[in-house]
Amino acid sequence: MNGHGANYRYVSRKRRTKEDGRFITGSGRFAADVAVPGMKHVALVASPHPRANILNIDASAALASPGVHAVLTGDALAAETAPLFNGLDIPNVKWFPLAVGMTRYAGEWVAAVVADSRYLAEDAAELVAVEYEALPAAVEIESLLEPDSPLVHPGHGSNVLLRKTFEWGPVEADFAAAEQTLTYRARWGRSSTVPIETFGVVSRWDPVREILDVWASIQMPNYQEQIASALGIPTNWVRVHNDVDVGGSYGVKRGIKHTVIVGHLARKLGMPVRLVEDRLDNMSGGDAHGPDRLFDVTLAFDDDGTIRSMKLRAIDDVGAYPGRGPLQLGKPITALVGPYRLSSVAYEAISVTSNKTGQVPVRGFGQSPTNFMIETGIDLVARRLGIDRIELRRRNLIQSDQFPWRIPTGTEYDSGDYHAVLEKALDLADYDALVARRDAAREAGRLAGIGIATCLEPGGGNNIFEQLLNEKLTVTTFVESCLMRVDMHGHVTAVMSTTTSGQGHETLIATIAGEELERDPDTIRVTHADSLEALPTRSPVASRMAIVLGSATSEAARRIRAKMVRIAAHDLGAAEDLVEYQDGTFFVRGEPARKLSWEEVAAIAHRQFHRLPPGMEPCLQEFSVLQVPGASGQLPNEKKEIQLYPCFSFQAHVPYVEIDPGTGKVELLDYAIGHDCGTVINPDIVRGMIVGGLAHGIGAALYEKFAYDADGQFLAGSFVDYLLPSAHEIPIVRDVEHCTPSPRTSLGQKGSGEGGYLGAPAAVASAVNDALAPLGISLSELPMRLCDIEAAIHAKRTERTG
Amino acid sequence: MKAAEFDYVRADSVAAASAALAAAGPGEEHRIIAGGQTLVPLMAMRLARPTLLVDIDGIDGLDGIEASDDAVAIGAMTRQRTAELSPTVRDRLPLLAKALGFVGHLQTRNRGTVGGSLAHGDPAAEIPLVAVALDAELEAEGRAGRRTYPAAAFFEAPMATAIAADECLVEARFPAWNGARIGTGFQEVASRKGDFAIVAAAAQLALDGGGRCARIAAALGGVAPIPVRIPALEDALSGSRLEDGEIEAALGSVEAAIEPDDDLHATAAYRGRVARVLLGRAIREARAEALA
Repeated sequence: MNGHGANYRYVSRKRRTKEDGRFITGSGRFAADVAVPGMKHVALVASPHPRANILNIDASAALASPGVHAVLTGDALAAETAPLFNGLDIPNVKWFPLAVGMTRYAGEWVAAVVADSRYLAEDAAELVAVEYEALPAAVEIESLLEPDSPLVHPGHGSNVLLRKTFEWGPVEADFAAAEQTLTYRARWGRSSTVPIETFGVVSRWDPVREILDVWASIQMPNYQEQIASALGIPTNWVRVHNDVDVGGSYGVKRGIKHTVIVGHLARKLGMPVRLVEDRLDNMSGGDAHGPDRLFDVTLAFDDDGTIRSMKLRAIDDVGAYPGRGPLQLGKPITALVGPYRLSSVAYEAISVTSNKTGQVPVRGFGQSPTNFMIETGIDLVARRLGIDRIELRRRNLIQSDQFPWRIPTGTEYDSGDYHAVLEKALDLADYDALVARRDAAREAGRLAGIGIATCLEPGGGNNIFEQLLNEKLTVTTFVESCLMRVDMHGHVTAVMSTTTSGQGHETLIATIAGEELERDPDTIRVTHADSLEALPTRSPVASRMAIVLGSATSEAARRIRAKMVRIAAHDLGAAEDLVEYQDGTFFVRGEPARKLSWEEVAAIAHRQFHRLPPGMEPCLQEFSVLQVPGASGQLPNEKKEIQLYPCFSFQAHVPYVEIDPGTGKVELLDYAIGHDCGTVINPDIVRGMIVGGLAHGIGAALYEKFAYDADGQFLAGSFVDYLLPSAHEIPIVRDVEHCTPSPRTSLGQKGSGEGGYLGAPAAVASAVNDALAPLGISLSELPMRLCDIEAAIHAKRTERTG
Repeated sequence: MKAAEFDYVRADSVAAASAALAAAGPGEEHRIIAGGQTLVPLMAMRLARPTLLVDIDGIDGLDGIEASDDAVAIGAMTRQRTAELSPTVRDRLPLLAKALGFVGHLQTRNRGTVGGSLAHGDPAAEIPLVAVALDAELEAEGRAGRRTYPAAAFFEAPMATAIAADECLVEARFPAWNGARIGTGFQEVASRKGDFAIVAAAAQLALDGGGRCARIAAALGGVAPIPVRIPALEDALSGSRLEDGEIEAALGSVEAAIEPDDDLHATAAYRGRVARVLLGRAIREARAEALA
């Protein structure tokens, strides 16, 4: 750790995470571990067609199959439930959990079979006879803009769901003044987060108490509300158990359609019902694919490398059911110009629907594709001008003395020292030696390259960007809460109100509470309240928990501490401002003998009303419900300017690759990263986010793609075809931290959950392109598969010899 | 991903296994399970739907590695990892030893068998490629007794072999070359370590006293429905000094010997070009080894 102003006793210290114990001993409790007596199992009937009318469903043979209790069709479910939430203003695009009338992608769920076991349910699912009328499908991204493209949602009348243009700052004037422009295209392939645990949900309906219990592998805002809305029941009938461990998510664990299916079935059948996706369900029908983007960009810049402005068009293929996915075009507005000092930007955001699996929020909510697009452009400008890529970045990065820095879209970046982090990363990489290594490899006839990427990680979240894409969405509240109790023996318990999917929130809360209260974090218990007992939450999205939950934890702890000081002062007969607290003891300043221990004050608070200050509420329980710190809480102004995210972490990546020119195979041989997320709460968790994020990003850069053929048939429904990098493909990562605390949070912390993912795709692409630069090749489509790289090399060589 | 219903029998002899295989009625499929590393996932996805699994894991004498003067016999149930670590295989069948390191992952090789890979007949699999390269003899036993298939006649199409429905592969005999100056080369490209090869190339050669190529076997996997030898290349290089130019020229015969296909991970054109690249490397690797 480096650069801390404050001398913390627990924060930033290398301490074992609180969650390790239960996962290492195999005692985590995941959705599939939840066994409710009498529970039935769901298997799904999936459409083999990318686009087809459903003419008839005959479930008679399935219903006669052993152990089968019900077969639910889309028509039957839609008759009794409301459509699921769409983020865009598209009233004629209806999303139901099971296809109604028409199937819109290969793998879409057409019917659900309930049986005594998953085996029996799968046997019966094969017997459901669905009669289809196959239709041509809408597949290729640019064709979706054409009026004659087959309509995915005929009622909507077009495959374009959103087309909005924005202009922030003097775009045309900047372009007119610039000495050069450069136009390029960048393509982000359809990949996602693919957690080791698929989505699973168990639901039980208690008609006497009128409670629908839900245990789910969920990470989503407003889950309880969405369940209630779809099922048409009051919100306070839904009890989501937030203590279920979630086995990975990074945005994609949003099984609302799964939950509506089991919630409806549980009520209808009077039996607990469980649906646990298998890998095939998850990859083809789970609606968990990520952004699929085509960027067309023009940069305006001067001969000295000063980048003035950018015109950007992004087309995002959101698949058949858009849900919240398209809003991923909105969040990156918060960092649309990256860490660079552009004075204007024009943005056309286009969302198109296709006959592909639906899109879901993925780690960074659109920021990683955006960062890849920006960094691709920076490298291209450097190549055009013959300026070193690092030098070009140094010239354009915001300077450390310029914070807070307001970008054209209206967001003010909180703090940073981008030059220092870049220098640290270069030092860590031993950059001059790395260049020598690359050049020696080139001398020996190999293709070798160094990647450079300098990227932002916006953290903290905020709903307000939604309003930029859909004026009907006017949510400006984005809260997180912490409830803290000190019991009569002085033991501290903190309550969080949402699930955790591997981010280590219990460690986060215990560490911050321990710091604020000067209590050992190992003694602090953290629990997850269920949704009926929970305080307000928007769930752990948007790298926001350190920022919002962390600050709420500080606030609740500070209130507890202040109350205990008041109690101690009253009991000691001293003025409040003369009483100090240190290390478990309350004492009068200058008179250390006049003191009370932490335990004594706790006992007074709970049991000795007669010793409390008059009028004080007894006991020790405080909570904080915190709006995103630093957010204005207002809607955008007439120029569409608004503060979106509050905190901006920064990362500088320096990977080294060699490419086999005969096969196109990329080998990542080294990876250095400099990283600044403000005050680090737990170093192991931050390093985990960096390294795991890098692996995730390396997958997006080189391997992972949910591929479809030209007819819309899904080709990558298993791990044989959707290629996740394994440990063999991930290099040893060296990281170095820098700390510019955020002025907007309780301890200076920023977000780090999106971690290395936000820069790795850009950095790996940069390294591949550096390796290919001597051949005059530049690629800008992800993933960069080995056969594509080899084909580019082959074409160039043929062109030269031919 | 739950397998469809099936019956299971654990055979205690090859004859019993053969009888069980032969008992399949119309519409039934009786299949051998050995290590299960390929079959079980296929069953879980219901892409394979045997009605009876005949487990040969308990049959005595189906595993083991035995060397004779001019061959190494590997029992069908021999685990891939056992073969990989076998000093006999390393000394006498260095090409197979190299290839085994590319078969799946350590974990799957602990369970997967040499015979299972051969009987499955994946056109990109390494063990069938080596069998074709070395002219292995594959011995099967059925109700009619034992029968020997030359590797060249064993593989018929992707995942299809000449083995009869009641036969159980019991042994693979790989010819072991004797002589001083023998070298082997095995090259493969896959998207990730442990994936099935996109293209794999195997070469084994022997040099005579004058440093000329006395004998060469060269084969490619992943570029045709079955692993293929490149006889024109072998003819061209036999008797040559294996100079780079000669190798390059001989690689010109690769194109006519292969029928690559497109798939999700690579185009046919890629496979065609890379087949030449990798076979060239395999031959040069073998040459260097023979000269060492």
